Amino acid sequence: MILRSPPPKRLKSDAGGSPISANASGSGNQLVIYEDSPLPAPAPLQTSNDQSDQHLCTYQCRQMVKADVLDAFSKAEKQVQEYQTQLQTLNANFSEADAERKQLRDNLLYSKQELAAAKGREKMLQEQLLTEINNSQERYTKELQSCHELEVKLQNEMNLRKKAESSAATAEEKAKLLEDKLTQLSGSVDREKKRLNNDIAQLGKEAKLSVSRIGADLERMQCRAQNAETESNLLRSQLEHLKLKFDECLQEKTEVDKKLSSFTSQTASSSDNSVLIKHLQEEVKSYEAEVREARKLKSRHVDAELLKVKLLEENSRRERAESELSKMHELQLSMEMLNNELSSWKSLLNDIPGVSCPDDIVMKVSTLQNEVVQSSMKIEEANTRFKQLEVALEATQLGRQSAETEAALAKEKSEALKTDVKRIEVMLSLVTEEKEQLKAVVNELRKSTSEGSVPGAGATDGTLIQEFESSLAKKENYLKDLENDLSQLKDVNNRLRSEIELLNEKLVDEARRNKSLERDSDRLRSEISLLESKLGHGDYSAANTRVLRMVNTLGVENEAKQTIEALQAELQKAKERLQAVEELKNQSGDAGKLVDSHITGKIAQLKEQIATLEKREERYKTVFADRISVFRRACCELFGYKIVMDEHQRPNGIPVTRFTLQSIYAQNDDEKLEFEYESGNTSILNNGYASQGEIAKQIEIFIRKFNSIPAFTANLTMESFNRRTLY
Amino acid sequence: MASKTAAAKDIITLHGSAAIVSEFFCYAANSILYNRAVYPEESFVKVKKYGLPMLLIEDESVKSFMSNLTSQISEWLEAGKLQRVVLVIMSKATGEVLERWNFRIETDTEVVEKGVPREKSDKEIMREIQAIMRQVASSVTYLPCLDETCVFDVLAYTDTDVAVPFTWVDSDPKLIANPQMVKLHGFDTKIHKVDTLVSYKNDEWDEEE
Repeated sequence: MILRSPPPKRLKSDAGGSPISANASGSGNQLVIYEDSPLPAPAPLQTSNDQSDQHLCTYQCRQMVKADVLDAFSKAEKQVQEYQTQLQTLNANFSEADAERKQLRDNLLYSKQELAAAKGREKMLQEQLLTEINNSQERYTKELQSCHELEVKLQNEMNLRKKAESSAATAEEKAKLLEDKLTQLSGSVDREKKRLNNDIAQLGKEAKLSVSRIGADLERMQCRAQNAETESNLLRSQLEHLKLKFDECLQEKTEVDKKLSSFTSQTASSSDNSVLIKHLQEEVKSYEAEVREARKLKSRHVDAELLKVKLLEENSRRERAESELSKMHELQLSMEMLNNELSSWKSLLNDIPGVSCPDDIVMKVSTLQNEVVQSSMKIEEANTRFKQLEVALEATQLGRQSAETEAALAKEKSEALKTDVKRIEVMLSLVTEEKEQLKAVVNELRKSTSEGSVPGAGATDGTLIQEFESSLAKKENYLKDLENDLSQLKDVNNRLRSEIELLNEKLVDEARRNKSLERDSDRLRSEISLLESKLGHGDYSAANTRVLRMVNTLGVENEAKQTIEALQAELQKAKERLQAVEELKNQSGDAGKLVDSHITGKIAQLKEQIATLEKREERYKTVFADRISVFRRACCELFGYKIVMDEHQRPNGIPVTRFTLQSIYAQNDDEKLEFEYESGNTSILNNGYASQGEIAKQIEIFIRKFNSIPAFTANLTMESFNRRTLY
Repeated sequence: MASKTAAAKDIITLHGSAAIVSEFFCYAANSILYNRAVYPEESFVKVKKYGLPMLLIEDESVKSFMSNLTSQISEWLEAGKLQRVVLVIMSKATGEVLERWNFRIETDTEVVEKGVPREKSDKEIMREIQAIMRQVASSVTYLPCLDETCVFDVLAYTDTDVAVPFTWVDSDPKLIANPQMVKLHGFDTKIHKVDTLVSYKNDEWDEEE
């Protein structure tokens, strides 16, 4: 409503008016619209004066104002139109922007979905990677453990090898020492042999000399003996001659004595007597000289006989020497053979290391056998270790292959992830570009709405943009996390690769060692087969083993049986003869009294012996019966079972011993256990009592499973005792 | 197959293992005496053992000899002192050793010292013994014929510190010079491991060849 007089200019903030102002974009002049204010309160007097003045010029003013207003209105209309066009354009732009926004929102949603899908895939991949990493870590730890174990085994084997090498070195040193000793001993043996040969040669020479000497002595003695024989013959003849002469002289002497005695009785002339006496004395002297000569001859004869004896002795010595000479030839031949054998044995000893003398051979064989046994044990251990190593090798190879496949899979996955990440990054870059474009568009819109009067839509755009920015920031954070995870995975993969390479190297080394072990095992197997053949031959070490055989062999038993049978046959014959003799005795009485008395005496003795033997047998039987009954009662009281022993025969003819046990705590006579004993083995027989439920269970547990009959009987005794006493 | 391999295992004690081995030796010796015709066929009676028809001699002297032998072998096995049992077949006329049936025994010393039992299926052991018995029976095809009357003896290789009863004396090992050897199957009770080997004198025909 147009006032007639323009009121004073009021500010927009006056309470009397309610100027409405609107911001319109694109207009520089502000249009003030005046409206009749509601009836004001009764104004004071001054304002009434003003109003009258005002009413005076209202018409012109109104016209002016009207014109101005019209101008302003037209301008405003123009501006409004412009604004409207601008608004339309803005609306169009806004709609375009809205459409773009929608499109962007759709793209954003799509990208969000893709992001979510990628996140899901990433999560899945992460989980898979984590599980694979865990698995690979576990496998890695297992491989590490196996590697540690292999290392430990390697170290042990190295230590064993070192020990073996050291022992081989010590053995070589010992062998060298023993070889030195052997050479020394062989030298000493050679020297001794030479000395012995020299001694033998000297002895031979001496023997030859002695033989020649003895021969010469023998010849001399033979000559002497011949001479002595001739002399003795001569002397014998002389002796006989002298004896005859001596006898004649004695006779003459007796005659002369007689004559002398007759002469002495007669008184004859002394001169003739003295002459006779002288003559006789001279004859006696001559006879004494002859007697002396005869005695000498006799002594010479005795000497000749002694010489003969000596000759015989010398002959015997000569024969002995000749026999010894022949023996010496034989001894020399045997010596040569022994020397040849000695040389061959020495050559054998030289071939055998560590043996210096024949006594060492036994020790050497025993040590070799011990070594063989130890080596066989070591071979078995090495074989088991080899098998374990093979198993470990296969396991590590499988692990390596699986780790390689997993690494390849992880690589592929990481590459796929990388491509996904790249794709996501590309998408992100696109999205950020779009975001920036949108930002720019939004800023433009903001600017346009701040100049114009487009309400409302910008705020929602701002919130969406903020949301978009926040989601983008989150995406960027996710991407950063993914990149971090990828880098970590790469590091892990690199580490795994390096470890796999190390493991491969170790596997190659282990394979080489396995081949060397295989070669050693083949060599040891061949040695084992050789030694087994030797063992199979029956060789043994006297230090550890003793060979025994039964004395009571079948041959001895057979011989004893044969002697027993022969004695029994003789006994029967003697009995038959005894019966025949008794019959004869009954038939003829007087004729055989003497013989009968002798026979009856013998028969009485034999009968007495038989009676005593029978009494002894009965006594033994009673004593045995007493003792066995005492033993049975004691067994029953000590172990709680009455035992009855029977001899049975199986259908196939094999005799077996059957034992029937009845517990003293048995409640009826049917509670009996039957066992069969054959060649050291006892087995329980099934009967009514043994096939009962509880008993059968106990049999199954104690006898079948644990193979212990005493445990079964003890358990049964305890159960029956408990039943009797407690229940 | 997994269920078959995981068959039930029986507990084997030292006493049980010694009984198994000594019983095996008794039946193996009887089988050898029959197959090598050391005693005539009519002296043997058929019994069922190890799932096979086995032949046992009826001669009382041989039976008592075998029973004394198996009881002593069982005692030495429980003490862990027995290394080998050898059945020797010799010519009665010349005393020359013609064949040696060598049963080598390895004992688990831990079981002897501590008395711990082991686990192995009885059926498995019986199967292994069955294989040895079949091989003994089929050895007739390659062992040379024993044309002359033969006798047998049993040697026991023991530790030097073993308590020797008065019915046993030291003996020489009764070796064969340049023998031919054939290794047979063995069996294992997880406490005693028995390997069988037969060594025999080269036949003249083989030497000529």
